[in-house]
Amino acid sequence: MSEKKYDAIIIGGGHNGLVCANILAKKNKKVLVCEARENCGGMVNHEIINYVPSIPNSVSQSIGGLNLKYNSKSTIALSESGKHIRLIGNQHLDHATIAKFSTQDADRYLEFHDKMSQFSKALGKFMLDSPPRIMNNSFSDYAKLFKLGLNVRMLGKKRFNEFARMIGLNIADELEDNFESTLLQGLIAHDSVLGSNLGPRSPGSLINLLYRMAVHGYSLFGGIYEMDGGSETFISALLDKCSKNNVEIKTSAVVKQCLIEDDMAVGVELNNGEKFFAKTVVSNADPRSTYLCLLGAQNLDTDVKRKINHHRSKGRVAKLSLQLNKMPEFNDCDDTDLNSRMVISPSIDYIEENFNPSKFDKLSSEPVLEICLKKDSNNNSSLDIQVQYAPYKVNGGWENIKNDYVNSIVKIISKYSSNIESCIENKTFITPDDIEQNYHVSGGHWHHGEIQIDQLFMLRPIPGAAQYKTHLDGLYLCGAGAHPGGGMHGISGKNAAKVVLGDL
Amino acid sequence: MNNDLRFSALKKTPFHSRTSLASRTNKWYAWNGFTVPTEYSTIELEYTAARNGTSVMDLTPMGKYEITGGDAHHFVDYLVTRDLSEMKDNTVAYIIWCNEDGKVIDDGTIFKYSSNKFMLCCAVKIYNWLNDSAIGFNVEIKDVTDTIAALSLQGPTSCSTLKNYGANDLETLAPFEMKQFTINGYEVLISRTGFTGDLGYEIWTDPENAKSAWDSIFEAGKQLKIRPFGMHALEMTRIEAGFIQTNTDFMAAEDALRPVRMRSPYEIGMGWLVHFKKKNYFIGKKALKLEKENSTTERCLVGLDIDGDKPAHGSVIYNEKKEDIGIVTAAMWSPTMKRNIALASLRRPYGIKIKDNIFAEIYHPEEIEYRKIWAKCKVVKRQFYNPERRNKVPADLYE
Ligand SMILES: Cc1cc2nc3c(=O)[nH]c(=O)nc-3n(C[C@H](O)[C@H](O)[C@H](O)COP(=O)(O)OP(=O)(O)OC[C@H]3O[C@@H](n4cnc5c(N)ncnc54)[C@H](O)[C@@H]3O)c2cc1C
Repeated sequence: MSEKKYDAIIIGGGHNGLVCANILAKKNKKVLVCEARENCGGMVNHEIINYVPSIPNSVSQSIGGLNLKYNSKSTIALSESGKHIRLIGNQHLDHATIAKFSTQDADRYLEFHDKMSQFSKALGKFMLDSPPRIMNNSFSDYAKLFKLGLNVRMLGKKRFNEFARMIGLNIADELEDNFESTLLQGLIAHDSVLGSNLGPRSPGSLINLLYRMAVHGYSLFGGIYEMDGGSETFISALLDKCSKNNVEIKTSAVVKQCLIEDDMAVGVELNNGEKFFAKTVVSNADPRSTYLCLLGAQNLDTDVKRKINHHRSKGRVAKLSLQLNKMPEFNDCDDTDLNSRMVISPSIDYIEENFNPSKFDKLSSEPVLEICLKKDSNNNSSLDIQVQYAPYKVNGGWENIKNDYVNSIVKIISKYSSNIESCIENKTFITPDDIEQNYHVSGGHWHHGEIQIDQLFMLRPIPGAAQYKTHLDGLYLCGAGAHPGGGMHGISGKNAAKVVLGDL
Repeated sequence: MNNDLRFSALKKTPFHSRTSLASRTNKWYAWNGFTVPTEYSTIELEYTAARNGTSVMDLTPMGKYEITGGDAHHFVDYLVTRDLSEMKDNTVAYIIWCNEDGKVIDDGTIFKYSSNKFMLCCAVKIYNWLNDSAIGFNVEIKDVTDTIAALSLQGPTSCSTLKNYGANDLETLAPFEMKQFTINGYEVLISRTGFTGDLGYEIWTDPENAKSAWDSIFEAGKQLKIRPFGMHALEMTRIEAGFIQTNTDFMAAEDALRPVRMRSPYEIGMGWLVHFKKKNYFIGKKALKLEKENSTTERCLVGLDIDGDKPAHGSVIYNEKKEDIGIVTAAMWSPTMKRNIALASLRRPYGIKIKDNIFAEIYHPEEIEYRKIWAKCKVVKRQFYNPERRNKVPADLYE
């Protein structure tokens, strides 16, 4: 048996890996982080991230407090006619805003928000802790998913029935039942499908929205921030903590495989052949590569391989950055609007039509966009755009169609900003394939795997692997692919640390 | 071969023209999509051929899978519970494989040509299982069931028969070895394997040689008590040999509808095939280790020696307090040993720690009525029949 120098080795220095590392180190555990890239942070990178939730107290407290500053962001749904909708997450003011279009929608909005907020809270309480672990992919797993959500039960009978009715529903039906403004429908539908592989009419698209709300302070349009100095400030803060807590970090250290002795994870081997040994190994890599590459298909039972093979993790979001030489003008928008979260998603049908080709790994001509104006430290501005339904491994490959696609995106924006083309100095476009390659995330998926009913809670990422444990003793998951899911909040890192500490 | 399924739902094996000619009873059954004889003449005659001469069985319907590629050796070692890492070229091994819960899916034999090429044989179809299990291995799996014709020749004169047929020096082939021969201008693979617990061989060749091989073999065995042999006689010989039969002695884990019917290797007397020490992980290892460590094994499969001469087909087994402790899965009156034998699945500790004072309730059919017999049983080794000649090298030869 090899000498175990560390208590834990963390594969990947994404934000979740760093959160986990710090919590372990604060309990005097000896921790090594091996990060494949030159820098830690993973996808929490200006290249990827636009807006973030605030880091939950439970996470920041568990690492001794963080001093982060956020700028709250409002949302503007752009309309070609100039009748944009501006929402800031304050019910009273948002009600007034919507009332200008439709008094009915305004009242319904409050009701809708209240209901969704309650539902997401019911799930949210559940989210911040480890889910129960259930071994068999049996009907009872699904039954327990509901049973164990005691919070859900506590909604009251009427609300519970409503919850049970809605949980598998598509968001489009719900929105169309409630609102007459197609722009408002389009906006909420956008936030329901962002980062996922679903269209607004896909069953299950509602749960995606509940997840998003749970992360963003149980609000539809509140709880959306830009971090002072950019999201990487969070990473710097985590790295500071790491050095205080004596977490050892190796960058440019690609882990080739997890070392196994006597059916236990005992360390890692890097691509250069170096080996490090530890009592536990924690993977911040996505579930698919953790299972099939790090743990190794050859060490897995057939059924586990079937499950991980069916794990859905094809990314559908690309990132376009337009570096600007002057500020563009958007029709009927002022400076505040430009600094808001701008969404181009005029209607449910618009999104759905956009989603359709992606089912066949094809591109649509009019993608759905979330636009963020950013200024870097040299005061250079850029428009950073989340482009929804840009398929991983697009038909025919990205190389030949990338340029046309980027041009079509600019063309869409020019419907709302007549001078945009003359403002562009440079364009950078990264596809899910690029993200897979550069960030070591299989499929380049936002959440390291879809947020859907069969890949949630104790079924996340796959049945039998929940509660941050994998099918190999001593190997844990701490990244977005584990419960609850992706985004910058560090919850999976925190929860995983608790489980690892319990076993150490 | 007739592959035209418009006219018959069941396929005919490449030996069909010969087996149908040999069939005096016209009793057939469906096996893996093929039709083959249950018996040709009488079970007794066929059984006697296997024990005193040469029996010939059409094995073609057996599931046959070719596993090739750089990881083939690692893959088969991972697939099965037995340590195959040291397996030599041109040998055969008896294997079982389990699912992730450590429950047995099936048993079979694995043939090693080289580190890059194996053939797996088993009674049922397992292509999907093999394919899914192969995720992460550099291997290709091909179902070669239809492209290899196979016969099983078993019994004391089987070696002499095959020598007459043209398999020179066959007697030097040890049990579980295989060798390629060229006979009458075509290639034949012969392995010293079988399902009767006696001296015996299996031969494997291209379907186009099937008829000529059948004819030459029967010609070669003319003076050596050769006889075609069907499924029913096989059932007798395999019980005597103590071999298990999937979905008879236990339910295949993939077929069982009730999880409680699934059996671990320890529950069907196959614990000796589980090798935790082997270098590679194998499917089901985690679950099996837990079972072993926590001693949670519930049942066992044992041999029973039963008083009297009435076979205990399907009998329930009781302890002296008349509590139900298990069931007979296969039973027969053994003509060779003159013993009333059975295989039984018992609830532990019966069969392991408690081997006496066990009773079978036998319902003996007597022209529509049943006679109920309360027979005392003794737990014995499952291998009832194991003649010395079975493993002798060189094998016995007869003129
Ligand atoms: C296009 C896109 C846009 C997004 N936009 C937003 C947004 O606006 N707001 C938001 O909150 N979230 C956004 N996300 C989601 C968010 O970026 C992720 O959910 C989050 O970064 C996941 O964090 P993580 O620490 O779990 O994993 P990651 O950030 O993926 O970190 C994993 C780390 O592990 C390393 N690693 C992997 N394999 C190995 C190995 N074998 N050896 C060593 N190291 C390894 C990787 O290099 C990486 O650093 C977006 C995601 C995408 C794809």
